[in-house]
Amino acid sequence: MSGEFLILFFIVAVVLVGGAIIFSNYAAPTSENAVKHDPYECGIPTKGLTWLQFNVGYYLFAIIFLVFDVEIVFVFPWAVVMKDLGMSAFIEIVIFFFVLVLGLMYAWKKKALVWE
Amino acid sequence: MEITVNHLMFGLFAAMILVFSVLTVTTRRILRAATFLLLVLVATAGLYFMLNYQFMAGVQLTLYAGGIVVLIIFSILLTSHISQKFEPVGWKKSYFSALASIAGAILCITTILQHKFQATTEAAKEIDMKLIGNSLLSTDRDGYVLPFEVISVLLLAAMIGAIVVAKRKKKD
Amino acid sequence: MNLNSFLLMRHEIVLIAVALIILIAEIFTSEQNKGRIRGLAIILFALNTIIGFFPATTGTLFGGMFTTIPLHIVVKNILNIGTLIVLIQSNAWLKTEENSDKFPEFYVLLISTLVGMFYMISAGDFLMFYLGLELATIPLAALVAYDRFRSQSAEGGIKLILSSAFSSGIMLYGISMIYGMYGSIYFDMLSPAMAMNSLTILAFIFFFAGMAFKISLVPFHLWAADVYEGAPVNITSYLSVISKGAAVFILTVILFKVFPTISDLWQKVVWVIAVMTMTIGNLFAIRQQNLKRFIAFSSISQAGFFLLGVIGGNEMGMTAIVYYMLVYIFSNLGVFGVIAIISNKSGKENMDDYNGLYHTNPMLSLTMMLALFSLAGIPPVAGFFGKFFLFTAAAQKGFYILVLIATINTIISLYYYLLIVKAMFINKSENPIPYFKSDFYTKLGLGICIAGLVIVGFASGIWETISKLAFGM
Repeated sequence: MSGEFLILFFIVAVVLVGGAIIFSNYAAPTSENAVKHDPYECGIPTKGLTWLQFNVGYYLFAIIFLVFDVEIVFVFPWAVVMKDLGMSAFIEIVIFFFVLVLGLMYAWKKKALVWE
Repeated sequence: MEITVNHLMFGLFAAMILVFSVLTVTTRRILRAATFLLLVLVATAGLYFMLNYQFMAGVQLTLYAGGIVVLIIFSILLTSHISQKFEPVGWKKSYFSALASIAGAILCITTILQHKFQATTEAAKEIDMKLIGNSLLSTDRDGYVLPFEVISVLLLAAMIGAIVVAKRKKKD
Repeated sequence: MNLNSFLLMRHEIVLIAVALIILIAEIFTSEQNKGRIRGLAIILFALNTIIGFFPATTGTLFGGMFTTIPLHIVVKNILNIGTLIVLIQSNAWLKTEENSDKFPEFYVLLISTLVGMFYMISAGDFLMFYLGLELATIPLAALVAYDRFRSQSAEGGIKLILSSAFSSGIMLYGISMIYGMYGSIYFDMLSPAMAMNSLTILAFIFFFAGMAFKISLVPFHLWAADVYEGAPVNITSYLSVISKGAAVFILTVILFKVFPTISDLWQKVVWVIAVMTMTIGNLFAIRQQNLKRFIAFSSISQAGFFLLGVIGGNEMGMTAIVYYMLVYIFSNLGVFGVIAIISNKSGKENMDDYNGLYHTNPMLSLTMMLALFSLAGIPPVAGFFGKFFLFTAAAQKGFYILVLIATINTIISLYYYLLIVKAMFINKSENPIPYFKSDFYTKLGLGICIAGLVIVGFASGIWETISKLAFGM
């Protein structure tokens, strides 16, 4: 039943967004010149590659974020039934959290949370 | 067989997954591969929505599209040759890998189509958070509390492993 | 469900506790006291090994998701002993300046992979099995890349994680087919329902291919040599001994538990794979000059010998596998122990470097010789009995040609194992490796290996104990 809504939603999205792009392509006045192809239309031109190597800190942050992101997935269903199940659910989540908090403390100790 | 909206949706998402998967492995720029992968994952979330499994779809979007792709992009940006294009694959290699994958696909598809699957007798369930929560924390049959706890150890080990590999020595 | 029933999971719980205690110690000790964690880890792990031998209850937990039988406990104890030896052997290496800021993690990661293996052994359904598999693989990839400034090590890590992700994918596809057909992932539901049809065959092949990747059976072995060479020596020994032994046992258990009704099929598959693995592993091993690569290929061919026990599909085969695993752990860890000492102290890993080793390091050479004889299967040492039982198990079921091929391969392997012995004892060298003074832990590690080889070879009680338990399968 929600399939119909979904496909309607999808079609509306495609029509609206695609329509806007195609329409503006025809309706807008066009002017072609060299400056248009610059990445920025102001400031000094870039020299060499604009790619740069990222700090390893980004990666560490991302992986720690991801671990706790996965954790959230498991905590959501737990939170819904916590009241019904009572003590046993509480113990189960305490064990779960204990192990993961150790991981967070480890990351803290290793200065993975500090930006260098 | 009557073609319903669901069939149409499935076809749409399946086509998206297929096309973008092929693009992911054939593109010669690594960052584009990551972007195509993102689209594959989003289309998979669409499949879950179609199955009325909203929780799984949400997980798919937040974890895979939101978390893992970001991690992949960060890892790509860590490398020093981001703008490098991969060498085009020789025709011999691409010919044989195409042959192998098409042969494999034909084998799997024909075998699956040949098999007479038994339809389940159980009534369709409304999958809400309560049901997921109850079976996640249940210790009986079809309860998943043991995997739930073991996953915490797995996450811990994965995090420690990632930090050990990535962290620089403190002194320098 | 009461707390008592958790005692069934004692091996796993104690192991997780050990890992967490080491992690807590790492978090809360100051820089100066950090060195003590090494001793703490070994003591805790030794305690864990001893606790493992206490009489244990058996049964199932979590509605059949976790099962334990006496044979599982024996295997877990064997793996505990092997890991203890690995930990003792790596002590000297972890002391080096280079590892000063990350050695506690080594223990945590190593122990968590062992936890994964234990859960795989006791898994009662495919979910626990898969979770254990991932837990046994992902931290291992981090350990292979442990020498993070050596590009070979990083390369090995990435090769391991990619090939294992790939094989997990293939395996999961097979498992999903099984679930689609039979509507369950519990082993006890699957085994009576399993019927011979083409989709089951396909699913089995996918599952088997995924497992074969982990055990590095030919033709799924290509990652093994690079990973084994790139990894630090102690990790290589863990990978090729503990990890491989556990995976072979788990494969056997699952073949017996889940696929007994299609045993005609998997016997054929195992037959072909066993012949290929033994032969190709051997042929590649002959050509290797680097000792780590050499051992990598020789352990591939050893995995082929393990399959002789798998193919029998009876208690005799099961007993032979567990027994050979014990022998294999002692002999291969003995070889790796010597290689690790020499590699860490002199950085030499090539076969030519071992020329004249006997004149400078007689004890090391003798240990190496004994362990190599055991691997090759020369009579008085334990390895002979191990191989003999494996051959008997296969011959009992009438696989005479396979046994013949295995015997030929044993002779080939004898040749290259003796090449090393010849290098150490007969070849002359202008500048042999100088004499090393080894510390207590290194000696202890090698001593346990030698003692194990001798005791296992001569004490027939071990065989009988395992044999009695295997009938409970």
